[in-house]
Amino acid sequence: MATVQVSEAEKVYILHGIRDDLRVDGRGCEDYRHTEIETDVVSNTDGSAKVTLGHTAVLVGIKADLGKPKPMLPKEGYLEFFVDCSANATPEFEGRGGEELGTELSNTLYKVFNNKHSVDLKSLCISPGEHCWVLYVDVLLLQCDGNLYDAISIAIKAALFSTKIPKVHISADEEGAKEIELSDDPYDCMRLNVENVPCIVTLCKVGHRHVVDATLQEKACSVASLIISVTQKGTVTCMRKVGGGSLDPESIFEMTEAGKRVGKALHAPLMDLLQQEERLGTKRQKVGFLG
Amino acid sequence: MPTDTKRVRGPEVSQSPLLFVSKPATALPSHGPRTDGRPRDQVDVRPVFVRCGLVSQAKGSAYIEAGNTKLMSCVYGPRETERKDETDMKCGRLTTDMRFAPFSCPERGSWIQGSQDKDLSLMLHESLQPAVCLHKYPRSQIEVNVMVLENSGSVLAHAVTCASLALADAGIEMYDLVLGCAVRQDGSSYVVDPTYKEENSCSSASSENQGGLTVAFLPSLNQISGLQSDGEMTEETLTAGVRTCIEGCYKIYPVIQQALAKAVRRAAPPPSES
Repeated sequence: MATVQVSEAEKVYILHGIRDDLRVDGRGCEDYRHTEIETDVVSNTDGSAKVTLGHTAVLVGIKADLGKPKPMLPKEGYLEFFVDCSANATPEFEGRGGEELGTELSNTLYKVFNNKHSVDLKSLCISPGEHCWVLYVDVLLLQCDGNLYDAISIAIKAALFSTKIPKVHISADEEGAKEIELSDDPYDCMRLNVENVPCIVTLCKVGHRHVVDATLQEKACSVASLIISVTQKGTVTCMRKVGGGSLDPESIFEMTEAGKRVGKALHAPLMDLLQQEERLGTKRQKVGFLG
Repeated sequence: MPTDTKRVRGPEVSQSPLLFVSKPATALPSHGPRTDGRPRDQVDVRPVFVRCGLVSQAKGSAYIEAGNTKLMSCVYGPRETERKDETDMKCGRLTTDMRFAPFSCPERGSWIQGSQDKDLSLMLHESLQPAVCLHKYPRSQIEVNVMVLENSGSVLAHAVTCASLALADAGIEMYDLVLGCAVRQDGSSYVVDPTYKEENSCSSASSENQGGLTVAFLPSLNQISGLQSDGEMTEETLTAGVRTCIEGCYKIYPVIQQALAKAVRRAAPPPSES
């Protein structure tokens, strides 16, 4: 994990600040940093999004492929997650250095989406037991400045929102052989319902309080954090303690409550933004990576 | 190319025939007593059998059996660290490795560590690390290996208990033992220490409020060192689930203490009275 060296004096400064609900960059304990979202940034994908959260930058690309449904769930398609920690983010990720963090992140994403309501997997089925859509969700970390989980989950939600899966029709000939036909019209495509896609909130325990969206400096002062993925309705789909320390049961209950509140409040503005961007259509000004 | 007519070419990928058996009774009843006779909605963990010091080559080892879930854990070290490039040499390093034997689950697994095993290893590491006094072991590493011999549910919870027992048996200085407990929420009712079938049955009519939760708990410090949940649950259910898990941990605490005391007594028998 990308880390920074923080001296004892700096730690004390950060700790005392958080105790008085004042963070180094002037935020309150439950505020996010300035966030920018842009969808449809990579033309070769079926859906993509770039999210910058402070200095953390994440790019998500989704590709839909035809695959075979899993034998246990013949009527459903599935999602595959892969997180790549590029050496651009920090030199520590060079070679196989980022692999450990990458598997940790992708395993958490599998857990977050391991329920029936997040994505309607049945709509990804083409013919039961034979063909289905597999959505490959590839996450690329471009810059790391803390709070990777939240940035990734927002980017995935935005990318799923913008995903356009081409419509296919199944035709069977006289002998019963099935054939998949792709629609000729490129605008004839299926959209996913992302209403129930959860967002992850990471709460860092610093001193006796917890902060949302911690920077690397703040993270260096905390011993343990709790990640909670919350849907729009406030249901928790995944909760996990990360970091080397332990937490008091009471503070876990407090953090769950705060996480649910913050997570629930995150969805409405995000959906608004995504729909606004969608409405702009082709007139939209593309910002790209240098904006 | 001449084809070998004597050899029957099988398909490249194969599935277990058990997957295609028509199963009308997969949906476990969501009320009434559980299949193994334990009541629902009560903190009733399976009786556990634990024993320390089974592997003579290891510094410490432990074996745990809860129902049909069987695990063993070995601890090697502290020894000099392999990686010299670590910047922080003041603290020791704890490495964990959790593996499933290929025959441990209904479907055969491979010997190669999959991503699920890696994830469980990481969870085990995060659960154990707060309990070990790593600052007492500078420039050294402690290896914890867990092997799942038979998977009959709640593997991670029992792995945590087993590994902490092995660490204690190895004489590694610790702040506290780490105990694990799992809960499965199924609609409005919950089951403690679920079996493999209960863990994987998701056919209940109400798909709201369904999920699993595993907690690692330090009993004498009253701290939670590991927490993991999946599925869909409301905040209230989660909070109640965490409390249930803590209660479940306290249930197995005396058994673990007794096993440890027994191991210590056997290693250094008290001086005879005469």
